[in-house]
Amino acid sequence: MTSVKFDVLIIGAGAYGLSCAWWMAKRRTGARILVVDEGEFASGASGRNGAGFRMQWGLDLNIRLCQESIRFFETAADQLDYPRGIELKQDGYLVLAHSEKALATLRSSLEIQHRYGVPSELLDADDCIQMVPALGRNRLVGGTFCGKDGTISPFLLLDSLLKACRRENVDIRYGTRVEKLERTNGNFSATVSGGTIEADKVLLCTDWAVPELLASFGITLPVKSLPKEAIVTVPCAPKVKPILISLEHHISVNQVSRGSIIFVVSRAREGKELVSTPDFLGFAAPKIVDLLPGVADVPVLRTWGGVSSLTPDMQPILGETEVEGLYVAVSSFRGLMTSPAVGRIMSALILESDTNDPVLTQLTPRRFQTGDLIIEPLLNQE
Amino acid sequence: MAAAVEAVRRGCRVTVIDEADRPGGQIYRQAHPALEGEEYAEPSELARKYALIERFKRIIGKVDYRAAASVYAVFPNGEMHFSADGRTEVLRPDAIVLATGARELAIPFPGWTIPGVMLAGGAQAILKSHRVLPGKRAVIAGCGPLPLVVAAQLLRAGGQVAALASLSPLTGMLRYPLSLWHGREVVREGLRYASTVRRAGVPRFTGYVPIRARGKEHLESVILARVSAEGRIVPGTEREIPCDLLAVNYGFVANSELAAMAGARMRRDPLIGGWLPVIDHFGRTSIPGLFAAGDGAELRGALIAELDGTIVGAAAATPAAGVDHPALKSKLSRALERRSRHLQFQKTLRRTLGLPIELWRLVTDETIVCRCENVRLGEIKGAIEGGHSSLNAVKRNVRSGMGWCGGRTCLPAVTSLIELSTGTAPTDMMTPRPLARPVSFAAIAHRRKVDAE
Repeated sequence: MTSVKFDVLIIGAGAYGLSCAWWMAKRRTGARILVVDEGEFASGASGRNGAGFRMQWGLDLNIRLCQESIRFFETAADQLDYPRGIELKQDGYLVLAHSEKALATLRSSLEIQHRYGVPSELLDADDCIQMVPALGRNRLVGGTFCGKDGTISPFLLLDSLLKACRRENVDIRYGTRVEKLERTNGNFSATVSGGTIEADKVLLCTDWAVPELLASFGITLPVKSLPKEAIVTVPCAPKVKPILISLEHHISVNQVSRGSIIFVVSRAREGKELVSTPDFLGFAAPKIVDLLPGVADVPVLRTWGGVSSLTPDMQPILGETEVEGLYVAVSSFRGLMTSPAVGRIMSALILESDTNDPVLTQLTPRRFQTGDLIIEPLLNQE
Repeated sequence: MAAAVEAVRRGCRVTVIDEADRPGGQIYRQAHPALEGEEYAEPSELARKYALIERFKRIIGKVDYRAAASVYAVFPNGEMHFSADGRTEVLRPDAIVLATGARELAIPFPGWTIPGVMLAGGAQAILKSHRVLPGKRAVIAGCGPLPLVVAAQLLRAGGQVAALASLSPLTGMLRYPLSLWHGREVVREGLRYASTVRRAGVPRFTGYVPIRARGKEHLESVILARVSAEGRIVPGTEREIPCDLLAVNYGFVANSELAAMAGARMRRDPLIGGWLPVIDHFGRTSIPGLFAAGDGAELRGALIAELDGTIVGAAAATPAAGVDHPALKSKLSRALERRSRHLQFQKTLRRTLGLPIELWRLVTDETIVCRCENVRLGEIKGAIEGGHSSLNAVKRNVRSGMGWCGGRTCLPAVTSLIELSTGTAPTDMMTPRPLARPVSFAAIAHRRKVDAE
């Protein structure tokens, strides 16, 4: 490997890594950017998630990050010069409450959403069932709905970013695992199979795996891995138009335009394996039948596993670490839906030391030392 | 069937899970009981079929036999999940023998999705299980023995065969007289099928392949053309033949997905079935307790599958420590010796059936390659040219292999297209994910957990 020195090394070519690289390239500062990924195209969490985006949150920063990102998704085909498009679908998100307590949380989040102009509304159980007749009535008390929320194809977003980056001469290397990251003589040097990469600045976009790379600098970040598993059904007649999230079932449901329904089901466990566990379907199927009796007879086509990151306040971590020039962007399980805004913010921070975005203060890695955690009321487990 | 018979004979508690309603698999497929009648296979082949089915019937009362049941997952922890009668069950046996057979290898060409174009084994299955002719006037094409067999059986059933095209002549085997002798039972049957076809005066087109199927609602004609040894069309040799059935078979692909899903080490050899579990002569995979037998382990035909079933069934029924004991080998010596004799023949036969990779270029950009997700060649080429050169990366880009069949049909095509475009075949299999067969939420929620001791 030639020992070219890069201005910025981004580790991780998921939604965060590629978006940050593209926004940096777009600034046309002449910075030489390298993105490395240990896997192949879309093989990590960004290629394995439920594909949804929403601005229905209970915290200003999440609402803003997602509003900005959704505006990007709406024009991504043009901005990224990707005529195929990214399969944007805005059929709304229906967040369901199966207890009065959950409904009260939704109601208070609605207030802050309206303050930011989110076109969300409160629905009672009848409204929800009218919107999605496949829903079961048992314990359902109501929900909130926002018609601007929706889905994109994670694969096409990643492919459009990849192609746009390569057009801007960003070097992207798959199958390249960073074994060791060090700082010597004011430079970073990353040991990869077959050589060493030198860079002025490093941005870690490996999400749940960020602590591994920080360890050699003596930095600890409280990021845990949260395995999740997903199910996709065979294509069937339209049954679920908006995306559903049930706070109590820990399930999200998304019927994509081909007719397949994707379920992401969470359960508390630890691990880093990208696999389907033997007992997963047996765990998930009764919950799904309880939530959506109307899909009981739909055949499951396939299951897969993914790993997302979990932080103590379930918020992303964005910013520079205690080591100068070493940055992190950890998504806390909403990387795909916030990636455009995060890419813009991180590119401004890293290339131009622009710290103006208020999100950077709220989501700083330092908040875990100062105890300034930010709690999202719509703590979801989608 | 043979593995079950042997394992029962050795005193094992055995569960047999089979997708079909009646035992027999693909090659020894039985008709629906109400449709039983004259069969068109060679008497010697039918004798083997019913002898084996008879042996299996004698143990049916002693095994937990599940017909019309589908294994949809085998996990690395040894759990086997299957569905039957709208419910699912989980087994965790001491040993699992995967005897999942093979499927046909499909090479796409323009028009291959028109109704009336089918794989030759599919046409044969219609004849075997429903006892109806899949078409009135057939063109049969491909490579290897199956097209000849299907042509003869259609003729014997009263059908008309307008042409029999084969990529390479089966007489290529004549160069290997010793191998022919090793495979004498099968060779004799092949000669009788050939004689049926000859007596009917079926026009033979050797060195020809179907390059296009034509028809609006249904198949109307097929264009055959000669191809060079490299697989390129020889201009000016095109022949259009009217027909309402085109039955094609270029060979087979092992059904090895369950072994891969269980985490067994895999290797790829297109001549003997594509991706295959790495096994030893007792069918042991790299996963303790997981065995593979028959065509699902490596393409070797029905005769070997039966012998293999006996050998692997015996190994699976033996405590792990005893498999390597010389006693087992000596008890199985007759089956092992017969299997190795037939292997001599099969190895030579497979060597004469290699397909030139250029055959995969018969498709045009508009041809659908992945039928489940309607992915056309142009899209796949675009993804490969865009730098995606692994099966997983192409899948994530254009969805080939993401549909109902999980890539069972299109993966050999995508693999070859990547090889044609980049010069090297992809080194990794597409990640095999559960479920191997679709199962409803209701059936999964309605689960019985039965644990074999």
